[in-house]
Amino acid sequence: MNILFVMKHRGNAGNTHAVADYMRVGKQYGHHVALYGEALPWLPDLNFSTDINAFDKVVYLFESELYRPNRLREVALLSRFARKDRLIFDMDGMYNPVIHLDRYDHNHTSQQQRDEWIEFFDSLADRVMKPTIARPTEPNVVPLVFYSYDPSLELARKDAPEKIYDILHVGHNWWRWKEIGGEVLPALEPVRDRIGEIGFIGLWWDKPPVEGPEAGPMEAFASDPAMIARMRIRTTDAVMYNEVVRTMSTAKINVFTQRPVLHHLRHLTLKYFEIFYADTIPLLMLDADHAAAVYGPAARELVLPGRVQEKVLDALERPEHYRGVVQDVRHHLAKYHNYTVRIEELVAAMKH
Amino acid sequence: MKLLLVTSVDPWTRSVATIHKYAAAARGLGHEVAVFGEPNPELPDLPFTMDVAGVDMALFVMQVPSDLPDMPHLARFIDTLPREKRVVVDLWGRYNETIRLEHDFNHLEKLDGHLGWEWDEAFRAISGTILQPTLSPLRADVGSFLFHGYDAGSVLRNWDNAKEAATAWRAGGTDERPYGVMYIGSNWQRWEQVRAFLEAYAPHREKIGPACLMGWDWGKRPLWAIDKGLAGIDTDPAFLEDIGATVWNGARFDELLPFLCMARFVPVFHRPLFRHLGFVTNRSFETFYGDTLPVLMLPLDFVEAIYGPAALALVPEGDVGAHLSDTLDRPERAWEALLETRAHLAKHHSYARRFEQLAAIANAQGRAEALR
Repeated sequence: MNILFVMKHRGNAGNTHAVADYMRVGKQYGHHVALYGEALPWLPDLNFSTDINAFDKVVYLFESELYRPNRLREVALLSRFARKDRLIFDMDGMYNPVIHLDRYDHNHTSQQQRDEWIEFFDSLADRVMKPTIARPTEPNVVPLVFYSYDPSLELARKDAPEKIYDILHVGHNWWRWKEIGGEVLPALEPVRDRIGEIGFIGLWWDKPPVEGPEAGPMEAFASDPAMIARMRIRTTDAVMYNEVVRTMSTAKINVFTQRPVLHHLRHLTLKYFEIFYADTIPLLMLDADHAAAVYGPAARELVLPGRVQEKVLDALERPEHYRGVVQDVRHHLAKYHNYTVRIEELVAAMKH
Repeated sequence: MKLLLVTSVDPWTRSVATIHKYAAAARGLGHEVAVFGEPNPELPDLPFTMDVAGVDMALFVMQVPSDLPDMPHLARFIDTLPREKRVVVDLWGRYNETIRLEHDFNHLEKLDGHLGWEWDEAFRAISGTILQPTLSPLRADVGSFLFHGYDAGSVLRNWDNAKEAATAWRAGGTDERPYGVMYIGSNWQRWEQVRAFLEAYAPHREKIGPACLMGWDWGKRPLWAIDKGLAGIDTDPAFLEDIGATVWNGARFDELLPFLCMARFVPVFHRPLFRHLGFVTNRSFETFYGDTLPVLMLPLDFVEAIYGPAALALVPEGDVGAHLSDTLDRPERAWEALLETRAHLAKHHSYARRFEQLAAIANAQGRAEALR
C-alpha cells in the first residue's frame, strides 16, 4: 500500500519521527510511505512527495493546529482521494469535548473552536484514529496507537555516548511546567548536591517563544527561570528527531513527562517508546496503572509521581537493578508494540 | 439548467458583474443560477446557496485561489457533487505553461504563493472539462467558452440610427460629458498601453477634451507592488499632470455604467497576457453598454472574431490621436460601426447563447463520462 501523510513537517517533533519510522519499516512489509510536500534539505532521510497519483491512501495527521496545504493543493488532494481513502489521526485530542484540566491544560480554548475542529474533521473523513489505549467515546473514533517499538533501534551500552548528565529531560516545555516545576524540581532541590548534571533539552524552558501568543497559549510555556538557574539546570535547544535517542543516552536517568491533557486521554506519544531505545533509565511521570497498561507490570517500578526524590536517588545508586527493569519493559514493548503489529493495524484501518 | 457558480465574489473586482448577469439572465430564460456560499449582504441581488442537490453543473469560475470554497465546505462539496458535473472555467490563463510577457504573467509564486503545477493539478482534479475564455486555447485539452457575455438590455441608450446617435454625441456639452477620453479599469499590467494611448492623444487633447483614468492605483505606484518588487503596476504622475489627466479610484461594479457615458471615447485595453491568449473579459463587452464610442486597442483578428467585422472601424489605424480627432469630425461611421457591433454582440454573445453553450458542454461531458 502507498500511504501519503499530510502533516506539519517538524524535524524536532515526535510525529515526524514516527512517520519516518513507518517509511523505514514499511518497506520491509511492501508499503511505501511519504510525507506530502517538497523535500526539505534539513530532513534528508525523509521521503517527500507531491505526486499524489502515486498513492492509494492519504492520512491527515493533526496535532494542535489545523495544518492545511494551500487551497489548490487541498482541492487536488480531496479530489484525488475519495472520502473512503482518507484517514485522520488526531494526535492531540482535538476530536473530543472541550477539556480543561485544573484550569491549566486544555484541548480547546472555547466551544466554538472545538466545533470548528469537529466540523473540519467530519467534513474530511468518516473515521478519526486516536493514538490511545482508552476506549473510544464516539462510534467513528478508532483507537490505534500508531507509534511502535523497534528493538533494533535500542542503543547498546557499548555504543552509547559518554554520560554527561545524571538527569535529563528531552522535550519541549509545552504544558509541562506544572509537573516539572510543581513536583519534579521541588523534590530534587533539597538533594541537588547529591545529583550531578541536570539538563533540559528542548524549547521554551528558560523563556517563552519569541513569536509570543501566536505560538500558542502563553500558559503552555510557563516556567520559572530563577528556579532553573538556582538548581543549576543546563538548558539547550531541541535536537532533531534522529538525534533524540543518542541525546537521551547521554544521561543516566531520563525523566518522562506527558502533556496533562494527553495523559488524561490516555494518548501515547512516540516518546513513550523512543525513551526505551536509549541507554538510560527512564523514570516516568505517569500513573502506575497507565504505565503498566502500556509497558507491562515491570514499569510500575519506574513511575515517579509521589516519590520523585526517592526514585531518582535509588536509580542513581542501583543502576543495574533498574537496567533489569528496563529490559523487562523492552521485552514487553517488543512483543506487544512492534511494527508488525502496528503496520497490520494501520493497513487494516486503511482497508476498512 | 440548474447552474451553480463556484467562485468568490467581490463588488469591487473580478467577475462580479458577469456573475450578476448570469443570475439575472437565468430568471428570464427558465434556468436557475446560484453562487456557492453564504449570502453576501453587499450583493443582495445575487442568490447564494450551500445546497448542491439537483445541480446540473457546478462551474468553477477560477481567477485566484480563494475562488475555491474554504474548508470544511470544500471537502463537502467535492465529496457530494460528482466530478462529471463539475467544470472549470479558467479566466486568468492559469492552466497553461508559465508565461511571462512584458511584466505580465499567469503564475507568480511571490505574489500568491502558488507554483504553476499546482494550478494544473488542482484544475485537473476538479474536473475533466477545463475551459478558457478564448476562441483559441493553447492547450489541446482546454475547451473554448468565453464566459463573459453581452446583455443588450444593459445598453444605456439605444439609437435608431447612427446619424441620430452621432449628432447627439457630438452635441453633448461638458456637463454631460466632461471628458474626451476615459479609461475604466485598474492599473494592473496596462500602463505601457495606457501611456502610449495618452501620448498619442495628448497633442489633440484641446480638441478631444480632458482625459480621465478611473480605477485603482493610477495615482501612484502602490506600496504592495513596491514591496513585492512587482513591475507592470506602474504609473507616471508627472506625465498625467502634464497632460491634465484626472485620476479617480475604482467604483463598485453596479455603479460603473454611468461613468461609461462621461467621456466621448472609452478605450478597451487587455493586459498583455490576455492579448496573447486571446481572452475576453467583462469589460470586453460591458464597454458597449455605454453611450460612448469604444476605442478597441486590441488585435485586429481578435476584434473581428469577437466583435464582428464592423468593429474594425473602432480600432485606430496608425495614430490614435488622429483616429480620435477624425472621429470627432466624422462620428457617423464610428457610430454605425458601434451599432452594428452591438447587434453582432447581441446575436453571438448574449447570455442566452452562453447558457446554450453550457448546456452543450454539459451534454458533451455527460457523453464522455458515459463512454468512460
